[in-house]
Amino acid sequence: MARASGSIKKFSRVQVVFHWVYGGSWIILALTGLTFLWRGDPTEPAVGLGPLLQGSVGQTLRLVHRIAAIGLMTSPLIWFLGDPKSVWPDLKELFSFGKRDLKYMLVAPLYYTTGRGQLPPQGKFNGGHKVNFYVVFTTYFTFIGSGLVMWLGRGTVSDGAFHVAQLIHSLSFFLGSGLFLLHVYLTAIHPFTRRSLSSMVNGWMELQYARLDHSEWVEREIRNGTAQIRGVEGAAEAR
Amino acid sequence: MGRAATWESWRPDPTNPAQHVAMLVDTSECIGCKGCEVACKQWNQNEPRISQEAGTYQSHPDLDAETWTVIKFIETEAENGMTKWLMQKHNCMHCTNAGCVTACPTDALQYGDYGVVTLNQDACIGCGYCEAACPFDAIHVDRTVWGMKAQKAGKCTLCFDRIANGMQPACVATCPTDCIKFGDRDALIDWGRQRVEQLKAMGYPNANLYGVDEMGGLHELYVLLEPPEAYGLPVAPKLSPVLELWKYGLQPIGKAVLGVGLFGLVINWIAARRVFKGGLSPHETGATAHD
Repeated sequence: MARASGSIKKFSRVQVVFHWVYGGSWIILALTGLTFLWRGDPTEPAVGLGPLLQGSVGQTLRLVHRIAAIGLMTSPLIWFLGDPKSVWPDLKELFSFGKRDLKYMLVAPLYYTTGRGQLPPQGKFNGGHKVNFYVVFTTYFTFIGSGLVMWLGRGTVSDGAFHVAQLIHSLSFFLGSGLFLLHVYLTAIHPFTRRSLSSMVNGWMELQYARLDHSEWVEREIRNGTAQIRGVEGAAEAR
Repeated sequence: MGRAATWESWRPDPTNPAQHVAMLVDTSECIGCKGCEVACKQWNQNEPRISQEAGTYQSHPDLDAETWTVIKFIETEAENGMTKWLMQKHNCMHCTNAGCVTACPTDALQYGDYGVVTLNQDACIGCGYCEAACPFDAIHVDRTVWGMKAQKAGKCTLCFDRIANGMQPACVATCPTDCIKFGDRDALIDWGRQRVEQLKAMGYPNANLYGVDEMGGLHELYVLLEPPEAYGLPVAPKLSPVLELWKYGLQPIGKAVLGVGLFGLVINWIAARRVFKGGLSPHETGATAHD
């Protein structure tokens, strides 16, 4: 079977913009922050990236980090104010993690590596999306809380609290980075799942792919008459 | 002991940077003249900061990025009811296990020759992690500067530029009572222990030597007349366990886990590109029976 034409609307333009503002801010924050974790032996002269990050360059990176932090902190407003109708249904689905999601998480690693196994029908967000969301949701608050302590709390919070903030910030980074790498790999590099990338570019997902990876959602949308489908002969846009 | 000792003539060996030097402040001999503060400012060309604390003879309330040594005047009451001053020359302690070095993200702070904790201000980005990591409050970021002049940390260098050239630190060279002694760290510890015994015999039962084991061993030692807490010095300070966990636990483990994860993704890609040819799943190509 070859690829059939036709696509289904998955995300609104506002959601796409929100995703990329958040993601772009996150990437800038990660790049300007992670470089400082690769520090050499303090008994030896600085090597590698070290000398490039010192002094004014390092201070500029710190400034960029803070500007991007503001972007990250405020980005959810884009979604909440720009497309409020989609907020509750999407959050409701994201926060419901059922047996199908659990089965998906158990089967998906083998399936996406070998093609073996049977993925259970998934909603608009599959189990992997939900786990990714939980990490993003949690680290959104841990990043901001610890970051604000390190940014504005210097000298006012106790040294112990400052150290805990450093630890939480780095822990959030490593946790978020792992999921970020997996997310980027699956949506942009993996030969099969990268077919989902278009939904976060123009909001439309290949219908054939959606029927495989989000069959429960596709059927529900069609059944409710709310599916927006284009490029399929005989399929009128259902609203 | 004291002024009769030979420390005035002691000079570091510029050909042997592996030797650990130290300063020892015999607080029983400090008269609070503040000559060391002036010598420090002068040699290091640090700008004056006029910030006298009301109600004390102390020149500055605390150290700052341009004030690297301060004589602390601690007012106490003697047994006879008279006022007694405890003096403590406060500056960077040059710890063997330094919190500031552990916390610095840019290698601006390093362990240097002679056991000195060095600060390369050009490399400093003013993040202030060092401030929170120092149990002695001995390093500060200058937050009064903006614009063309960047915010940088500042602290005592133990006059590294002088001792690397066979000279004594400026504060040592200028001290009129020779209460600041500079020399080989082990020899100074021996001298300090003898001085403590001498002071106890002279009627100072609380005399003690501070800095031998604190933070892995300080390169600023003190002969104190009273317990450390009377001077505001931390008792048995240690590197913060949270900071150590952050630096030596989380960071290497986190990097390793990320590395393993990346390797796993590469393996997955090699396998998946053979299975999902043309981006199609086995369900779409009919390659498997579980469609």
